[in-house]
Amino acid sequence: MDLRQQPNRLAAAWPWISTLARLGLAAVFLIAGGLKVTDLAASARAVNAYDLMSYDTAKVIGAVQPFLEIALGLLLLIGIATRLSAIIAAVLMVIFIAGIISAWARGLQIDCGCFSKGGELTGGRTAQYGLDILRDVGFLALAGILIWKPRSRFSLDGVLLGER
Amino acid sequence: MSKGNRGRDRSAAKRIVEQQKAAERRRRVTIWTSVGVVAVLLIAGLIGWGVLANQDDSGGSTPSVAVDEGTAFAVGSGPVTVDIYEDFMCPICHEFEKQTGPAIAQMVTDKKVTVRYHPVSILDRTSNGTKYSTRSAGAAAAAAVDGKFLEYHNVLFENQPAEGSDGLDDAKLIELGKSVGLGDSFATAVNDKTYDSWVTKATETFSSRGFNGTPTIVVNGKQVTGPNETLPTTEIFTQAVTAAAG
Repeated sequence: MDLRQQPNRLAAAWPWISTLARLGLAAVFLIAGGLKVTDLAASARAVNAYDLMSYDTAKVIGAVQPFLEIALGLLLLIGIATRLSAIIAAVLMVIFIAGIISAWARGLQIDCGCFSKGGELTGGRTAQYGLDILRDVGFLALAGILIWKPRSRFSLDGVLLGER
Repeated sequence: MSKGNRGRDRSAAKRIVEQQKAAERRRRVTIWTSVGVVAVLLIAGLIGWGVLANQDDSGGSTPSVAVDEGTAFAVGSGPVTVDIYEDFMCPICHEFEKQTGPAIAQMVTDKKVTVRYHPVSILDRTSNGTKYSTRSAGAAAAAAVDGKFLEYHNVLFENQPAEGSDGLDDAKLIELGKSVGLGDSFATAVNDKTYDSWVTKATETFSSRGFNGTPTIVVNGKQVTGPNETLPTTEIFTQAVTAAAG
């Protein structure tokens, strides 16, 4: 009897787990974008600090990225096309992680600019690349949950599909 | 065929039709919400791009005395060129000034080096929205126009506010200017923020040269740092100047 009930209980819990993952990921993107959108020049410098592209390209990325993050955060918050939104979030996380690894591998001393304006670190402050990557992998896992189980509570998807 | 059997068939057929309808609805919702998501993200990206494009035409006046594409103020007339990029809010810049400033002053006196000071504003976020980095660098440009850059530069570092504080207000910036002999034209330039948009442009040039942090110290085109990208000691800096002098 227990054996048969256990999977059922888990099946009932999934929408709630997915809801938490969705709202958590939404908060991550809204905060990350909100912190950068007020100073696009600083956002451009944060991208430029990775030394992966010309400053002119970094300027465009630095300006577009915060708006994208906020938009994606809002989409996740209302829960529309959750699986696609989560896939896009996961792709962004993979890009961020790759960027941090590349900065680490090249021995750059920079702030990853994930939740700040970033830039070069000076005078004794050392980069925390390991922690930054670990945190982003955590966010990637949240996106993974949503890709796997996109159905969640309080979502526009649910309303449109007539679920309750 | 019995009646019951026919009833069962009919309800089975009904169920299949309902399932197909539900699947169709799910497909439609998925397609349209996906189109919506992509559209929203595209629009958001375009907004960011548009904001950037509109920011680029920042006018403002370039200080008449500025050298190096109008980004720096030169002190001294020696053969070796030393470029120093500093933010007046940056504690490490202050440390560098305290540590190596006297040696640099001596090199200027001995006509060994020409120092080009580049005030930049990368720490605006650390002054609670008062943009102290930009305001102080703009004031330094005004001081340069009135012929007192180095004096004002030094007094700004001596009175450096703590990172994360509001910074010095404009009245205090003007008061410090008076203390080194700057007058009314300086005060007007600070109050009118005459050179603040120039600071933004100079900071852009700094970034486009591939520099990310302050202080950035460059001797004859070569960046000088200590081990592991730390602040160079006076000894390392002096060696770089000696090597550059040949």
